[in-house]
Amino acid sequence: MKTNNKSTNSNQWLMTLLKGRTFIVLILLVIFFSIAKKNFLSATTLTMVAKHVALYGILALGMTFVIITGGIDLSVGSVVGLIGMLAGGLIQEGLTLKFAGVTLYFSVPVIVILMLVAGCVIGAINGLIVTKLNVAPFIATLGTMYICRGFASLRSGGATFSDITGYEGLGNTGFKVLGSNIANIPAGVYVFAVLAVLAVILLKKMPFGWYVLAVGGNEKSARLSGIKADKIKILVYMISGFCAAWVGMINTAQLSAAHPASGDGWEMNAIAATVLGGTSMAGGSGTILGTVVGAFVIGVINDGMTMCGVSEFWQKVIRGLVIILAVVIDQTQRNMQAKMALQARNENK
Amino acid sequence: MKSKKVLAGLMTAAMVSSMFAGAVFADETEAATEAAAEAAGELLPGGGSKIIYCITPSTSNVYFKTVQDLATSTGEELGYEVKCFSHDDDAAAQLELFEAAIADGAAAIVCDNAGADASVEAVQKAYDAGIPTFLVDREINQSGLAAAQLVADNAQGAAAIAEAWVEAMNYEGKYAELLGLETDTNCQVRSENFHSVIDEYPDLEMVAQQSANWDQTEAYSKTEAILQSNPEITGIICGNDTMACGAVQACLDAGRDDIKIIGVDGSDDAAAYIKSGNMVGTALQQIALITQTAVEEADAYLNGTAPAEEKQLIPCVAVTAENVDKLAGFVYTE
Repeated sequence: MKTNNKSTNSNQWLMTLLKGRTFIVLILLVIFFSIAKKNFLSATTLTMVAKHVALYGILALGMTFVIITGGIDLSVGSVVGLIGMLAGGLIQEGLTLKFAGVTLYFSVPVIVILMLVAGCVIGAINGLIVTKLNVAPFIATLGTMYICRGFASLRSGGATFSDITGYEGLGNTGFKVLGSNIANIPAGVYVFAVLAVLAVILLKKMPFGWYVLAVGGNEKSARLSGIKADKIKILVYMISGFCAAWVGMINTAQLSAAHPASGDGWEMNAIAATVLGGTSMAGGSGTILGTVVGAFVIGVINDGMTMCGVSEFWQKVIRGLVIILAVVIDQTQRNMQAKMALQARNENK
Repeated sequence: MKSKKVLAGLMTAAMVSSMFAGAVFADETEAATEAAAEAAGELLPGGGSKIIYCITPSTSNVYFKTVQDLATSTGEELGYEVKCFSHDDDAAAQLELFEAAIADGAAAIVCDNAGADASVEAVQKAYDAGIPTFLVDREINQSGLAAAQLVADNAQGAAAIAEAWVEAMNYEGKYAELLGLETDTNCQVRSENFHSVIDEYPDLEMVAQQSANWDQTEAYSKTEAILQSNPEITGIICGNDTMACGAVQACLDAGRDDIKIIGVDGSDDAAAYIKSGNMVGTALQQIALITQTAVEEADAYLNGTAPAEEKQLIPCVAVTAENVDKLAGFVYTE
């Protein structure tokens, strides 16, 4: 009996380790790169890493909600490109109303709000295709991914909107603020932090979060217990679109330029960060904190390897290995959890 | 059960025989076009219509859009209808577009191809159908199939702008290099020729070399990381202008306006940075000139005059603050 207890104890130890695995990996990575590259562990480097992480970290926040419901949003990378082009176009060229023969120029706050609405609308379209037309999320968002990328190129005929500073006379200067530092911290990092806190509240403290988890865990029983599953699903895609719109604007502001191919493939980084953070692709479980840590793991690997001069080819190999390893550990944890639950039940008997 | 087997057997037989039939047909048309080609003094006759197909990679890049625009304007001037399509660097999509051109009876095809080896099959198909192909910007790894292959002299261009950069660096200092997609031939050619010039100067030392996959955001974040690990650098050489623009923005954000940056392409965005003094220069690939020449050669070819040589190198122009005013929309006016 005593030995049994001991093994349960060590099992619990292992469980704690496994649960905090991404965080442990993050700390190990930081230690590793600090040794490999002397100035890695400095305020400026860490700020830089956070700035890079913010871009796909914000995407990953939205992605976490979508994946928890058992869906996926492949369109986010293209939405980043499209929103960048729309914002850049509104600043450089304004909105020309042909029938009225006028060109409207909006101030920066208005543009930001318009872009966020646009992101939500694209998300809502994704959600409607998934729920009302009953298309698998993978296919639906694959479709909107191409559509958004196409519209991004159509907006300018393929050209880049460069030097997006706005015009004093038109009162639309200041977009660059989203890409610059405020009190030595990049604006994108503030946005990331605020959105992450909001996401935690939404998922943990609000009934909405329970509905999201319930829909992902078992949609049928969620529906039977009165949760409007379709509405929840549409909302999660809108959250994802909202996040992508932020990234589109921050990226454009940082580069002072909007390029139609921006954000190509970023959905994969977002999915990787989410999965690394322990969100199950099958849906029903996941945490925002995990996703944030997952995003930092990818960011530290990217910037650390670049600073150490590792070639792009090896960076890809290592990134892939880390993702697979994370999922394997995830599976082990789930199996152990199930086993321990069974053991506990037997002991109670 | 037995009847099903018989049915299956019959269907297999039908399929096999249809395959043979198809093969025979193909042989016949091939023989016909070859005979036709010989009759016309080894020139391909074209597909019969007055349509030129212009097939390029993604038009979300202004560079390739210039190809389509110039092909259209030059072609229409010479009395052709020009149809433009994109293969998005997908060889299979390119093959489909070539097949569409053949079916449409195109007079000639102007193509910025989807890969040196992967594109041979498509050009072969057009050749077999009697349609001459004029390759612009990128070559294929087989000669004798395309009527002409016109490419920018990347090697000369990279070396020329590297000369200007070395001078701007005052022949000394540490620098970083941003490579394009490392599997791309252009990336290797440009990098090799940067170094053929720069490595002559022992006081110029490369301390970081990273790929940014021709991408602006990636160039931006990689430059930030390099500036963190190697703040002593005073120059960055970039495989294209898109990456150079990302590098410029990262340097500006880091308050480093002392860093000498060059790119290759000759885009208007780079020209703007050269004018503002944030970039040293770029190597202009005269893609407008290349496309114009290709369409004119196609017209001459269809009228019975083949280009003197299949492979033609069009020189690049090193654009710096001195001559940047002559550059607009990939066109350099003396």
